[in-house]
Amino acid sequence: MYGWMGKRLRVGLTNSEIKTENLPLEYLKKWIGGRGFNSELLYHETQQGMDPFDPANPLCFGVGPLCGTFAPLSGRTTVSACSPMTCSLRGTDVHGPGDGNMGGHFGPFLKYAGYDQLVIKGKASKPVYLWIDDDHVEIKDAEPLWGSKVKEGTTRIMDELGGDPNIRVAIIGPAGENLVRYACVINSYGSATGRNGMGAVMGSKNLKAVAVRGTKPIEIADPENFARSAWELREKIHNSASAIRRREEGSMDLFDVGNAIGINANKNCSTGYMPGIEETYGGKQWAEKFLFRRKGCWSCPVSCGRTTYIKEGKYAGFYASGPEMEAVCAMGPRIDSYDVPAVNVMCGMTNQLGLDVVSVGGAISWTMECFEKGYLAQEDTGGIPFEWRDTETAMRVFEMIAYRKGFGDVLAEGSIRAAEKLGVGMDIVPHCRGQEHISVDPRIALGFSLGYAMSTRGSDHLRNYSCMEFPGCAEDRKYMTEEIFGPELAKEFWKDFPKEMWTLKPTKPRLCTWSERNKGVADLVGCCCQAIGSWGGAGNWREAYTPLLRYATGVDLPDEEVWRGAERVIAIERAGWNREGSARQDDTHIERYFTEPVAGGPHKGRKINREEWRWAQSEYYRLHGWDEDGFITPEKAKELGIEEVIPNIEKGRKLYEESMKRQKSK
Amino acid sequence: MQEEKVILVDPIKCTGCHSCEMACSMKNFGKCSPSLSRIRIIEFREINTFIPIVCQGCKDAPCLKVCPVGAITRSLSGAVVIDQDTCIGCRACMYVCPQSAPVVNPENGKLMTCDLCEGEKEPWCVKACTMQGALRLVPKYQTIARKGKEDFAWKIKEEFKPKIKEEEKVEGFSFG
Repeated sequence: MYGWMGKRLRVGLTNSEIKTENLPLEYLKKWIGGRGFNSELLYHETQQGMDPFDPANPLCFGVGPLCGTFAPLSGRTTVSACSPMTCSLRGTDVHGPGDGNMGGHFGPFLKYAGYDQLVIKGKASKPVYLWIDDDHVEIKDAEPLWGSKVKEGTTRIMDELGGDPNIRVAIIGPAGENLVRYACVINSYGSATGRNGMGAVMGSKNLKAVAVRGTKPIEIADPENFARSAWELREKIHNSASAIRRREEGSMDLFDVGNAIGINANKNCSTGYMPGIEETYGGKQWAEKFLFRRKGCWSCPVSCGRTTYIKEGKYAGFYASGPEMEAVCAMGPRIDSYDVPAVNVMCGMTNQLGLDVVSVGGAISWTMECFEKGYLAQEDTGGIPFEWRDTETAMRVFEMIAYRKGFGDVLAEGSIRAAEKLGVGMDIVPHCRGQEHISVDPRIALGFSLGYAMSTRGSDHLRNYSCMEFPGCAEDRKYMTEEIFGPELAKEFWKDFPKEMWTLKPTKPRLCTWSERNKGVADLVGCCCQAIGSWGGAGNWREAYTPLLRYATGVDLPDEEVWRGAERVIAIERAGWNREGSARQDDTHIERYFTEPVAGGPHKGRKINREEWRWAQSEYYRLHGWDEDGFITPEKAKELGIEEVIPNIEKGRKLYEESMKRQKSK
Repeated sequence: MQEEKVILVDPIKCTGCHSCEMACSMKNFGKCSPSLSRIRIIEFREINTFIPIVCQGCKDAPCLKVCPVGAITRSLSGAVVIDQDTCIGCRACMYVCPQSAPVVNPENGKLMTCDLCEGEKEPWCVKACTMQGALRLVPKYQTIARKGKEDFAWKIKEEFKPKIKEEEKVEGFSFG
């Protein structure tokens, strides 16, 4: 077997069952890897109405065929399970497929141990961790480790297993143990599977960690061409100005750009601009003041990972992994804070506790806005005042959330469920499918906005990574526009550029569709999406990853097949939602973004036009071959080779129609 | 005579991405595995410190003397190389090496060291590290080589150790 390892490891925690399955070549070709394997398994081994904390919920760690090879940027792992975080308009007890993607070193070592996928089911009777040492798989006692934070837990597990630095540990913090709905799995001390609460699923299985060591080589079908192709891509990255900038400044390099064009969503995603945050949070300034050392995911020449060391001031002496741009956004601008050292400490804390930084920032900023608007007062929160810019309170609340103490217990459910429980502020939760947005304002960057709404894992930019809608990226990658839009729409795209980039033009649904498959290919092969997204130094999916994929696996996988593979994965995830009766009604934003204009900055006064939005939804469905309500059509399912979804979608349609009727009668 | 060269290692710049290991195993075996690589990154991930270990081709190499079958020779480029056919896998070179640079090939139990990718313009690991610059190919015995090591020793002592201590001292927070 070349490229892939050809094996799936299944672990049943209830009865301590361990078995391996061989994956036939047909299957590998169809689902390619990583997110493909995970989403396929997730669809087929969960049913409609699945409870994410049910022991039968499969927790899958999937890696792609390029993961852990000499191909640059190849260190990504996808972790999937039915998500406790997301929900539907049908009710907050409706859950769809979820996943998180992490960098670091865990995935490559899972592959060196000989597995393409690890699937964990069942529930252990007491805390355990899983130890995979090549063919030796063991379920070990983790009772003494229960309650430990990420850093302590990782170190203790490594010590217990002999202190070999070649052991990689993916672990949950206290947040995962206490089933905080947006808890992460964290590997290599600081690489997290953000969003969707995979850590909570792991915690519900009483599984503290997965430790892995591998010594098997990944065989390459055509080493000569593979190496040549990898060198070409590496050289392209070495010479790319955006890659060099990303290396120097980390992903915080996006702050200058983002704030200048006014897309950063601040103060609970209510305004798109914050005066002066470039100077405060800009990548260069950050690197000068706080950068201790860079760290890289597996085989990544760029190494945009950071470690922080605070030299002076209140938090002098603080050292931690991270942060990343979205983390800084969620901890800083989102709560209107300009206090950079505090933000660094907050990012470090969330990592240690195992919380998803965007959702925890979302929950806290939502509470702050509720206080501002008078929806909540101190007596509702157990005496804790939530004021904008109050970083100290936020830090206190993190611990409360992770251990589900006091008001933290409410926020641990995520802002949408907190709003439901408290009965206030539902209209100001910036979410799609129950998950909070990242910090790009959905009223301004409409390609991103459409992406949030259509995303198959709740609002998230890393599904439909429509970076081409930002003037800088578009100019950098001008040559791609014909491929993305076709000749006609490409003209439309460049008309009145860049002024007209911020309206819902006919190009947006097309861009969104292309970008989500572009990103999908990166997830399938197990590589980084940033290189073909935000900094884009590697070009697009076709230039970067498909030649490498063919040389590594030696399998005839033409570009169209890979593209089709990405479409198939998106379709099966969508089918998971369709099965739950979630379709058009959920593919939208909260009322606020249609009625309340942006408060300040270059895009003051902008809001989403409802008619245009409806049109964009329909156009997006049309491009995917889905019907007007957003359900996958039987023809499309047959075309993609996933006929088995058809009966389930019909059942889902009934649920959808019922819920629409109920809504109308209301 | 060909100028003797050595790979100069600057651990301060290493980001622990293991690109060099991948490049090495790819070049020499056409496979990808850190255990087949002749360069290794020793990780102290908890404190984000990574130290690449690669044969430095010592001037007075102890492994040359200790090899019982005479499998180790010095190449024209100054690298100390192990002949795979002669090696019996006794690991004497590995034990005697000041930095334990020889690597056991897991496939046949024999030892291997860096040959500076003979015949290539630049060793693959160095090329893979272009952006970070933690590995550089420099003429042997150049003062810069010594300076690099001194720098690192200084940084570890002056900058690094206090950091780790103070980290535990931050008031009001407990970080593992």
